[in-house]
Formats: sequence, C-alpha cells, structure tokens
Amino acid sequence: MQVSRKYGVLIAMAIVVIAGIAAVPSPRKDYKNLKVLPKDISTKDLSRIMIDEFEDGLGVSCGFCHAEEKDSHKLDYASDEKPEKEIARLMMKMTLDVNEKYFQVTHPLIGDSVLSITCMTCHKGQPRPRNPE
Amino acid sequence: MKNEKYISVDENNDGIDRAGFLKCMAWAGTGLFCMMSGGVMKSFGMSQLIDKNIGALKKGLILPKADFTFAQISDSHIGFNKPANPDVLGTLQAAIGKINAMPTAPSFILHTGDLSHLAQADEFDTLDQAMKNAKTGKIFYVPGEHDVLNDNGKQYLQRYGKDTKGDGWYSFDYNGVHFIGLVNVVNTAEGGLGVLGNEQLEWLEKDVKGLSSSTPIIVFAHIPLWEVYPQWGWGTRDSAQALSYLKRFGSVSVLNGHIHQTLQKVEGNITFHTATSTAFPQPQPGTAPAAGPMKVPAEQLRSLLGVTSVNYVEHNHTLAITDTPLIATKETKMENQ
Repeated sequence: MQVSRKYGVLIAMAIVVIAGIAAVPSPRKDYKNLKVLPKDISTKDLSRIMIDEFEDGLGVSCGFCHAEEKDSHKLDYASDEKPEKEIARLMMKMTLDVNEKYFQVTHPLIGDSVLSITCMTCHKGQPRPRNPE
Repeated sequence: MKNEKYISVDENNDGIDRAGFLKCMAWAGTGLFCMMSGGVMKSFGMSQLIDKNIGALKKGLILPKADFTFAQISDSHIGFNKPANPDVLGTLQAAIGKINAMPTAPSFILHTGDLSHLAQADEFDTLDQAMKNAKTGKIFYVPGEHDVLNDNGKQYLQRYGKDTKGDGWYSFDYNGVHFIGLVNVVNTAEGGLGVLGNEQLEWLEKDVKGLSSSTPIIVFAHIPLWEVYPQWGWGTRDSAQALSYLKRFGSVSVLNGHIHQTLQKVEGNITFHTATSTAFPQPQPGTAPAAGPMKVPAEQLRSLLGVTSVNYVEHNHTLAITDTPLIATKETKMENQ
C-alpha cells in the first residue's frame, strides 16, 4: 500500500514537471543574428521587447532598425544593414550595464520588469532623447 | 487640448461631447454597426444603439430598414496587459455583447486587424474563442502589424488566410456590394507607413476592372488608406494608386483601424472611416510625443472606448458624411451629432 502511494506521488510530481515544461513558451530555433538578447529567447519575449521597449519606448516601428529584403519591402530581421540596429545593440548593453552597476540589478535582462532603467527612462517615446529642460 | 487627454464633457453619457465630435476626433465605440440600403452605407457606433443597463437596443429606437447589416471591430490586441487596459479580453467580449444585443444579427463582421498583440498562438486562440460567441454568419479578417510580427505573417495566413491571395488580400460580393480586404502591414515603409505593394495593387486593378461603376465598393484594411498623420506612420505610402482604381465608382467606403480612434474624411466619391480599438485608446494625432497605448483613469476607460455615429448618404454619385441621427421616437431623443 505504501509502495503504491509512493508511486502515486512520483507520478503526480512527474505530471506537474511535464505540465510545467509544456507551459514554458518554446524558444524559436531559427534566430540567426541575436547578439545581445539571449539566443534561446522565446518569440513571445522577443516580440514583447520589440513592442514594449522599442516601439512604445522610442515611438518607432520595425523598419526603424530592420532593413528590407533585397527583392521586396518585407523586413529582413537578421540583416545588419541599417546602422540603427547596431546602435540599438549598444543601447541595450548600456542599459544593462547601468542597471547592474548603479542599481544593483543582478543578471539584468532587457524587458525584465525589475530593471530600474529602461529605454523609456530617457527616450520617452522619441527616437532620440530630448535634452533635459 | 488643455489639461485633457480625453473628452471631458460628456453630454450623452457616452464619453463623447459635441465639440469633440465636430473636431472629427471623437473617441468611438467598441464596434461599428453598418447597414446597406440601396447601395448606401450607414454606420452607427454600438454604444449609441445599446443601452448598457439592459443590454439591448435603447428604448424607443427604431432602426432604419436595410438590405443587410454588418459590424466592424478592430484592434483587439489580445495579449496586451499593460495599465492602459489589463483586460483586453473583457472589452472585446463587451463589444461582442453589443453586437449580439442588436435586434438583427449582422450578416457578418469585419475585423480590421491587430487581433493579437504579439502574434502568439495562444493569443490567436483566445481571440478565436471569443469571436465564436458573436452571433453572425461569418467573420472576415485582415491583419494588423502586430499579427505579423516575427514571421512576416505566416501564422496569420495559416489561420485566417484560406482562399486569399498574396499576404492575405481578397474580395467578395454580398448583396450587390463588392468588399475588398487589403493588407498593408506586411510590407512597411520608413516611418511605419503601410505599404500595399505592386503585386497587391496589380491584383486590385484587375479585381475591380470588370465591375460596373454603379457597384458600391467597401474597402477594409488595417492602416488607414489616407494620410491621417504620417509622422506617426498613420497612413499608407502607395494608397493613392489603389484609390485611383476606385475613382470611377459612385460609392466607395474605406474602413480602417490602427489608430484606435474614429476619424472621418470625405474625398470625392470616397468616404474614409477609422474605427476605435476594443482594447485601449491612443492619443489624438500630434497631441503626444508618439503614438502608443494611452492610460486613462480606470473608471473612464470604457466610456473612452465609447461612441460615435456616422451616416453615409449618397448624393449625385458621391458619398457624404452627414449628421443624420437614428430614427428616434418621442421617448428617446438623440442629439444630432
């Protein structure tokens, strides 16, 4: 009886673990050119960063940083053709550094709600931050 | 607008005052209810028709006779959870509730894009589940830019693109009216402007070529097909070419979303109308540093997603927006906005 109870607990634990794994958004495998953001980031987290941090934070759309494909107006997300994309990488690194060095955020990640400094802190919906008044 | 990010004087208890409406900047309803009668489209904000206390048509209102009716909703942004509206599913369900409360079920619903916020499978699933509760014959979609994030719209096409062309454009006929769903979010231009692209433009030219000039045309797409505010990407770069194919038609209506507020414009034979979001408001053009979700006091959110009324009447082969009220009895007097 005790053995079957043990098995029951193990099976229940296994179900919880499997359900937990299933609930985690699966990372997209085919990102080709992520250099600052985690390579195993989920599409949901990546999209949220693009919308919340960049689109809303800077008041821009995808084409501000991403170049178009050569034969169409569709965006080539992996391309580094536009300099704004590299600037965005530098800005993300700076943001992470400031949070870690001056606000004691350990292992800061762009898009994490614990960050003290975000794109919006300075940009306030503008592509280039205005001088403080 | 001094001290105001929203309309402060509310004469009809619907979130809109007359002055705001006359500026053509009125916050609009959680959906539009459209009637076709003799080739003329008349549209009414849901909030104007439905008594929120009883969940049915306002007492005393008599709707004009129509050949058929349809509804437009837009910008549901399922998955959005920021302070501007932490319950976007709830407000979408409220819009569907208003559609279901209409005395005559609309023949179909047009959803003009941004179904999801981040183009995630679970967000599309949630929207689909909610839309199943709408009492209507069919739902037609076009994508918003949020629906094509990451994959240039592949998932959207798999779900909603059956029997469409290219990135999801299509047309259909209903009761003698030709409806055209266009996609201007997969290709984008500098500054966030929409782009239709050559392939779609060529298709459009052929699509309308064989139609009689007296055929009423209704075009729907996500980003406005007129220059609302290009500085915020509120326009479509090559829309002029698309509209040139429609100039010969006597009655053309263009329905868009994207800007989360109602604006109207008449240009020759073409009447433009943008719808509000079922999710959250955005600032009026030029009144904020940038477009984006606008947080308002919680108790005012639903009223800011409030009401508008637009009537389209055909005069001498052109369409004009007039301030025609719903037919009201003595019991219910509606101000002619």
